[in-house]
Amino acid sequence: MLKLSLRSFGARKLRVALTLIAVALGVALISGTYILTDTINKSFDNIFTTASKGVDVSITPRDAIDDATQDGTAVSTIPASFLREVERQPGVAKAVGTIDTSNVALFKENGDRIGGGGGAPTQLSSDTPAPFSAVTYEEGRAPTGMGEMAVLEQTAESEDLKIGDTLKVVGAGPQTELKLVGIGKFGGVSSIGGFTLIITSLEQAQELADQHDSFSSILVAGDENVTPAELRDELRRLQPPTPVNVRTGQQQADQNTADIREALGFLTTALLVFAGIALFVGAFIIFNTFSITVAQRMREFALLRTLGASRRQVMGQVIFEGLLIGLIGSVLGLLLGLVLAPGLRGLFKAIGADLPSEGTVVEPRTIIVSLVVGTLVTLLSGLAPAIRATRVPPVAALREGAVIPHGRGARFITPGGAILAVLGVAALAAGLFGGAGIELVGLGAGLVFIGIALLSPKLVPPLAGSIGRMFPGVVGQLARENSVRQPGRTAVTASALVVGVTLVAFVSIFAQGLKATIAEAVDTAARPGSLIVQNSALGFPLPSAVATGLEQVDGVTSVSSVRFSVSRVDGVGRTAVTSVSPTLPDVFDTQWDQGDNALLRDLGRDTAVITKSWSDSHDVKVGDELALTTPTGEHLRLRVTGITDDNSGVFAPITVSNELAEQAFGERQDAIVFAGTNPADEAAVKARVDQLLEQQFPIAEALTVQEFKDQQSGQVNQILALFYVLLSLSVIVSLFGIVNTLVLSIYERTRELGMLRAIGTSRRQVRRMIRYEAVITALIGATIGIVMGLVFGIAVTIALEDEGLVLSIPVAQLIVLLILGGLAGVLAAVAPARRASRLNVLESLAYE
Amino acid sequence: MTNAAIVSATDLVRRYGEGEAAVTALDGVTVSFAQGEYAAIMGPSGSGKSTLMHCLAGLDRPTSGSVVVDDVELAGLDDKRLTALRRDKIGFIFQAFNLLPVLTAEENILLPLSIAGRKPDRDWYDQLIETVGLRDRLTHRPSELSGGQQQRVAVARALVSRPAVVFADEPTGNLDSKSSADVLELLRTSVDQLGQTVIMVTHDQDAADVADRIVTLTDGRIVEDRRTQPAVV
Repeated sequence: MLKLSLRSFGARKLRVALTLIAVALGVALISGTYILTDTINKSFDNIFTTASKGVDVSITPRDAIDDATQDGTAVSTIPASFLREVERQPGVAKAVGTIDTSNVALFKENGDRIGGGGGAPTQLSSDTPAPFSAVTYEEGRAPTGMGEMAVLEQTAESEDLKIGDTLKVVGAGPQTELKLVGIGKFGGVSSIGGFTLIITSLEQAQELADQHDSFSSILVAGDENVTPAELRDELRRLQPPTPVNVRTGQQQADQNTADIREALGFLTTALLVFAGIALFVGAFIIFNTFSITVAQRMREFALLRTLGASRRQVMGQVIFEGLLIGLIGSVLGLLLGLVLAPGLRGLFKAIGADLPSEGTVVEPRTIIVSLVVGTLVTLLSGLAPAIRATRVPPVAALREGAVIPHGRGARFITPGGAILAVLGVAALAAGLFGGAGIELVGLGAGLVFIGIALLSPKLVPPLAGSIGRMFPGVVGQLARENSVRQPGRTAVTASALVVGVTLVAFVSIFAQGLKATIAEAVDTAARPGSLIVQNSALGFPLPSAVATGLEQVDGVTSVSSVRFSVSRVDGVGRTAVTSVSPTLPDVFDTQWDQGDNALLRDLGRDTAVITKSWSDSHDVKVGDELALTTPTGEHLRLRVTGITDDNSGVFAPITVSNELAEQAFGERQDAIVFAGTNPADEAAVKARVDQLLEQQFPIAEALTVQEFKDQQSGQVNQILALFYVLLSLSVIVSLFGIVNTLVLSIYERTRELGMLRAIGTSRRQVRRMIRYEAVITALIGATIGIVMGLVFGIAVTIALEDEGLVLSIPVAQLIVLLILGGLAGVLAAVAPARRASRLNVLESLAYE
Repeated sequence: MTNAAIVSATDLVRRYGEGEAAVTALDGVTVSFAQGEYAAIMGPSGSGKSTLMHCLAGLDRPTSGSVVVDDVELAGLDDKRLTALRRDKIGFIFQAFNLLPVLTAEENILLPLSIAGRKPDRDWYDQLIETVGLRDRLTHRPSELSGGQQQRVAVARALVSRPAVVFADEPTGNLDSKSSADVLELLRTSVDQLGQTVIMVTHDQDAADVADRIVTLTDGRIVEDRRTQPAVV
């Protein structure tokens, strides 16, 4: 039996190959994802371990709430007095304070920004003496005193910097010119991921970060007869003025690694979802291929049955072949993943997420999951055809045209499909509208797909008829009828394409809605003539000096700034907080549920406004009191004076005044600054603002409302492009499915094709016929996919209406999608069509 | 000499369809075949000869009546036991497509034993190969053999498990006269020298004349059942 399987493979090499690819691509995405994220984790692990090599104990500030700031550093810092206390402890050989901040920007002398712009962040770190520093200098030396800085080799190379160059650094303090005195390596490596590292002396760093009496961390080295753990315990007994974490160097490195791992976990999950989609599509392909193969080998199976092979032996054959294909395909996929991982990394780099990945890490888990999942999916997909194979009656060996009788379950396919689809819709509705969670949405979507797939044979005849009508003549008619001949087979092939198209359509609709929502919200909120000033490294804050500077510009009628923070409400959770300046209503027209713009002027230190959705979900009304804990550990009681109903995205659930934010939340920096102008003068005033920013605040950029909308649109488009690329893998798999089905159906119709040629059909006409069949199949899939995408898109939009999501259908994009579907069919048909046209007439007619 | 009946049918009826459109392929056939017999079943198209063979071989279930093969009543046997019967007691030769194209001649011949998980009886196997005359063709695939050679491989396969009875459905239908003669002679030899029983369906009178007995059907009934003239040596 084993021999039979292997020999059968040899006879069907092409078909086996196409099925293998279907498995391999899905598995490749799984293994590629794991390899990539494992590699990134390991790289970060190495970086952190290197950084903490000479450190016996690391003391870092502890915020009351984690991740309170936009740039990830703690809001709190450690007062310098504590350093002196640490130094006095017995067992401490050396202790230094450090300044570390990513709220910096680096510019060349000519004003060009180095790094930033949404890519890997720029980091300023104060130089530390041995044994703490991991930086060694190939060229130059470490910076000392004021006016000096160093960078790593990677930065110097890519930006063409030399010792002696003048560079400009902007931090929380004013812009400063520094001379490049050293180009170094970090732990022997020329860069840390894509980070741009600026190293200066401690005094210079304090000046740049405007942080003179406190440190970002304290590093301690103990003397010889004290272990790091003992030193840590000793230092823990001290009473620091602000809460701190005291860890050994290794513990700190482990903590950092764990933080990164958690952050990356989201990425891994997201990528695995795409892998799951690709495998889901692959399952359709495998099912289809096996079904067709079983049908073709009917006589062979019948023969085996007449020779006394039991049903189980026949099924065992098919299952064994499934196992073999699954294993081989999975191994291929695993290897392919090695190639895919760097590709994925490049993809993320292109949208600005430049993560370090030295070497390639293949964990045992990756190998096991890839092999098991790939094989399992293949086996499950091949199960139904395998069972079908057992129903071949032995007498089929004697007669031509014998058919495999339908199993008992065949009657239930259509109603079963309908039921599954309805169940799926119900699950989707529960997930979207009932708040039952995103897993239910995913499950619902999967059920709907399978349900539609089961129903699709019924859809094939009408769809093929109407789509195929565009093809002229006898050839077109033949193509239409061939597509309808075995609606089950056409349907399954088309269904594979449906998955990919639905997702592309849905994502397009969702993104379009998102863009429309943002545009509408911005248009409603921002008053005409308003300029929006933000950090050109999106997501990072601006020093408050920017707002002050803008006030002086001629023609600016009003300046208002907005800040972001977090809080704990009633001691639990993380609730985002916005703070605004009293001048906000001058430039920003907020929509209110209860209250008006005047409330924002009077927020003071004891009131807040909340958003409508937060008010509804937490049952808080005007007049109620909120008990908040801030990141610096302060406890506040604020009275709610109003409820906003605004979709601009500026307002977090709770809004307070900037004054309060600075005083109680420790938030000293602005996220966005609005500058109002008279619309008539807008252009001129903007020119002056640009000049100011260029001269004094090069990290900031000023945008008109239109430019801002375009920028946001651009960001959505970037993510959309990422989705398209990841989904394209699934689409490619389904294209292989179309090719596979075509090849198989041509093989089956050999005699028929021979007959057509014998009666005078030209080669070209045969090619056209095959091509039309492919296009019909592809377009059936694309049509169903677009319709489903529309349904999902509309459903999700309605569900999110409360959040302000607007429905906007990108009609042009959907039409392009449909056309691409047709083109995909043409592409898939190229090789099979050529094969069909080249069949030798006589041989085909004699084909048994 | 009357040997024990190896295959017998009693009042075999096979009807297809219902009511007005019903077709009666077999209309009460009673016949039995003795061990060591070479019988031919003849009849025009639609006479029911193929149907009779299908019922006798357990490939089809009669509407009514009973079939006994080697003392085993076929009616009421479940698929599992029917399968076992096919494996151990019945050999088949078809008109065409007898062999699996991916296996060699030898592998095809041994296929029934592989399915049963048994090893061939070496002496029997060698004798069979000699009788069939395919010693130099054993490693060839069906595509490398002529039609006649393929059928001889099929005969060897049918005989390898020493079945109680061999059913042949138009075994020479696709062959030229020389190959036909070879195959028929082979079947004859298997009966005369190897002690097998062969029941062959054919429409070819020359083929039928090689057998010991000809049973003729028309319209689902036996109309003639005679001994053939012994071959004149």
